Amino acid sequence: MDSLGRNGIFGQAALEHIDSLYGYAMTLTRDTTEAEDLVQETYVRAAGAANRPGHDNLKGWLFVIMRNAWLNQVRHKNSGPHFVDLDAKEGPIDAAQENPHVVYLRNLERKEVREAIESLPDAYREIIVLRDIEGFTYQEIATVLECPAGTVMSRLGRARGKLRKLLSGQQTRTRIRAV
Amino acid sequence: MGGGTATFKNCEDIRGRLTLYLDDELQGEERVTIEAHLSECESCASIFARELSFLNSVRESGPLSVAPPELRARIEEILSEKRTAARVPATEANRSTAGRRRRFGWLVAAAAALLIGILPVVVWRLAHRTTTSPTTRPSSFALMAADTHLRQTRGQLPLEMESASPQDISAWFSNKVNFRVKLPNYQESSGQEKLYTLQGARLVGFQNDYAAYVAYRMGDRPISLVITSESAAKPSGGEEIAARGLVFHYNAIDGLKVLTWSDRGLTYALVSDLDERGQGSCIVCHEGAKDQDFIEPLKPH
Repeated sequence: MDSLGRNGIFGQAALEHIDSLYGYAMTLTRDTTEAEDLVQETYVRAAGAANRPGHDNLKGWLFVIMRNAWLNQVRHKNSGPHFVDLDAKEGPIDAAQENPHVVYLRNLERKEVREAIESLPDAYREIIVLRDIEGFTYQEIATVLECPAGTVMSRLGRARGKLRKLLSGQQTRTRIRAV
Repeated sequence: MGGGTATFKNCEDIRGRLTLYLDDELQGEERVTIEAHLSECESCASIFARELSFLNSVRESGPLSVAPPELRARIEEILSEKRTAARVPATEANRSTAGRRRRFGWLVAAAAALLIGILPVVVWRLAHRTTTSPTTRPSSFALMAADTHLRQTRGQLPLEMESASPQDISAWFSNKVNFRVKLPNYQESSGQEKLYTLQGARLVGFQNDYAAYVAYRMGDRPISLVITSESAAKPSGGEEIAARGLVFHYNAIDGLKVLTWSDRGLTYALVSDLDERGQGSCIVCHEGAKDQDFIEPLKPH
């Protein structure tokens, strides 16, 4: 990381992650203004600490900074992070009861997958974004979330199970295609 | 899949580790063992294929959001300030600082917009006495289009599909955006010499949804066409030019020529570094002789 602080290399390298950071900020805040503020605060903090050693994984480090900044904001608001009970009852979506053809056409669209991800409980959405959208390893996610890698695995499994249910219309599509 | 307790146990073990395999969390012998099993066991291979398909659909749904150009500009400024002020000790990095920097950033951005967007056009109008309405700052759609063009040409925004076929690109967008993208092919239909080439396409974020981005090239000069619905973006700002019943908005942004307009429910932005107002880029959709009276008013007079 030390080299990243020199000659503007840090700025150039850090800027490459702005879309990922904004996406993660949207995942955390669900609000464009708050997300923009969070991205900005993340870069301000990162730029201030860029010359300190020990940050080999720039992207992961930026995500850690962002999550900590967000947690500080939430604590400051005295409401606590808004993670829902991970074992809470299932959401209202019941794709299997809808018209299979409509569901088939709808679920062809990438947009629908995004909406399904958006509809996940906060903690599930977060871990799907970190693993499947941003491509972090289990250990990197564990570092960002400050939890054991085993927790990452189990939470990711439950999150994908939930997402699979939301997108279960895809099974109908597969059957239709096979006919 | 073979029968027997031992084989079943093996399948169970394999299936329990498929997710780790798909997440690239296994290495060496474990990967080899799973790959060997999948090549022999149809049942496990079927489960694997289903899981892979599911994960691909999730992974291909990203990015969920794209940073707005205004935010990117502010972050660039912050990083630039940090570089130039690297020798200043004890820099604050708290939220209030961020707020101040943000407000300051807007002032700088506004000043930059004045310098980059308005001043050249004012000078332009004084020099050429156009008949257009007063100029204003570029719309967020025009700014996004210019930013996208720059990032694409710098290699920071790779195309998601590459094709020289307008039909293929139109079809590619069909399930990805909530409006219809139909690219004409004047070169093919007219049999004229190819003056430009179609490069490919990708999605770009705008107003919490996707806009369609299409890349062209005229010689070695890139041309970008960005399309969204008129409900997401209405052309505004810049120099207004009326032509063939449409109103075009022209802006010069970061040295690029940006033309935006709406037609039949869609809003377009055409970005290039071509001469004058970049009206030469209109050739990607209007090459025929009958279109010359359409392009002509866009030229500075």
